Amino acid sequence: MKTGNLTPDLSALKTNLEKHEKPLTFTGWFKNVYVAVKSVLTGLGITFKYVTSVKPVTIEYPEVRETLPDNSRSRLFNDVDNCISCMQCAQACPVDCIYITATRRAKEAPKLKTDDGSPIKLDLKQYTIDTALCCYCGLCTTVCPTECLTHTTDYEFAQYTLDEMKYDYLDQDIRAWKHRIVK
Amino acid sequence: MIEINATDVTNNDDKVKSELLTLNMGPQHPATHGVLRVEIKTDSEIVAQAIPHLGYLHRCMEKHCEHLDYRGVIPFADRMDYLAAMNMEWGYALTIEKMLGTEVPRRAEYVRAIVGELQRIASHLMFFGTYAIDLGAFTPFLYAFQDREFILRIFEELSGARLLYNYIWIGGVWNDITDAQLKRIESFLNEFEESLKKYHTLVGENKIFIERTANVGVISEEMAYQYGATGPVLRGSGIDWDLRKTRPYGIYEELDFDVIIGSGEKGQLGDCWDRYYVRFYEMFESIKIIRQCLDGIEEGPVMGKVPKIIKVPAGEIYMKTECPRGELGYHLISDGTKKPYRLKVKSSCFTHVSMLPEMAPGQLIADFVATIGSIDIVLGEVDR
Repeated sequence: MKTGNLTPDLSALKTNLEKHEKPLTFTGWFKNVYVAVKSVLTGLGITFKYVTSVKPVTIEYPEVRETLPDNSRSRLFNDVDNCISCMQCAQACPVDCIYITATRRAKEAPKLKTDDGSPIKLDLKQYTIDTALCCYCGLCTTVCPTECLTHTTDYEFAQYTLDEMKYDYLDQDIRAWKHRIVK
Repeated sequence: MIEINATDVTNNDDKVKSELLTLNMGPQHPATHGVLRVEIKTDSEIVAQAIPHLGYLHRCMEKHCEHLDYRGVIPFADRMDYLAAMNMEWGYALTIEKMLGTEVPRRAEYVRAIVGELQRIASHLMFFGTYAIDLGAFTPFLYAFQDREFILRIFEELSGARLLYNYIWIGGVWNDITDAQLKRIESFLNEFEESLKKYHTLVGENKIFIERTANVGVISEEMAYQYGATGPVLRGSGIDWDLRKTRPYGIYEELDFDVIIGSGEKGQLGDCWDRYYVRFYEMFESIKIIRQCLDGIEEGPVMGKVPKIIKVPAGEIYMKTECPRGELGYHLISDGTKKPYRLKVKSSCFTHVSMLPEMAPGQLIADFVATIGSIDIVLGEVDR
């Protein structure tokens, strides 16, 4: 073991090189050349088949855009109208990138329900996801009881600053995504 | 024959004063496959000493897991060996299932075997492509990626992500596989088997490739035992040890496949060519396994009964699985709460990196590149 040893073992150098040295005969030399040329030509033959018979597979982004499978886990979207502020997504998140603030709904306020009929008992004040922190594992979407938090197939959302990656889903602009992308 | 006299290098009273040159390979060297820095001391073009420096990709994974619930660890297990994330998840899921005593549905076991072996193919294709690049051949890389792309696409449809899947869960798998997907996998395998044979002619039997890899970076049987090498590196040295055979998990017991071991066909036993050979022919075995799974897959649920909040009973377990790069072991200590008390991961790549200092002395620098490539390390798994 030589890891801890800071002076290199030079005696190993010579022996290691000698070990692999084989005497080369006259016929052996020609045989080597023949085998080398033959194997290289066989390889080139395979490559040339690809030149003619295989159609290109490269997708020329951004001229051509690939549609991702429906399952793809890309940008998160929360439909805040259906959110019951249960905080399960925030608890499931392994990187803690979901920030939720909610207050108890006043008793005299009109009763609200989500699309699937669960009563909304809390007023959502803040629902922010730091997409720069998000690891796109999908654990938050699986625990969501009303299925309002989903991964979309939208993958082009690079920004110049980290702050721009923080999405406030109560924001009007982001709410409008609902009619655009949600699967 | 290059003559090296050890005394010439060290004695300063000679006419020509010479000393060893320190050369830093990495951490951003393309041949080190990630962020490995190898400090090599060279005498002209011959490596006298190589010291690997680790830690550039250390993300405190083990410590971080102590603050997560058991389901939340899976995305982090993915990020260890990002080229074989399915196998990383599988090992972790098995560990927790064994502690909980969960029964995994038969269909889920089949799906796990299919994705696990597809992942092994994808990982070995990655090795095949990048190893050819290390040795100066660019074309095989493109072929390998073309086939790998199909596998990633199937995984994307199954799980939603291309590399970090979070697909194999505790108790089963996330989504069910459809019949259409199974058919596509089957037709892919037929095509892929044909092209694999071509790839072997293109690379493995190429004289230049053989000259570059045979007799280079020899790991003897004894050395492989001593260092605790696992996976293709161990099998490349001629030792018949595959956890899928010797300690079967999942449904491997019911499947019929061979363990590929190196034979020293082109040079010495345990050289780079043997390791290449083992990895390459393992892909054929994986195809065999997947075909059997496609034939035998059963209907049913893909998720077993798992409590909503997982609380692993207090105790200790060590579970190991055969990953593309070797054995991956999870040592879990639980204190009965919903978070692991300690989760130690035994990585195979770490063991293999530790073999570099012994393999390096006396090699040419170009051969050293071939040696690093042949042990196929992923630094995410080395540092964790």
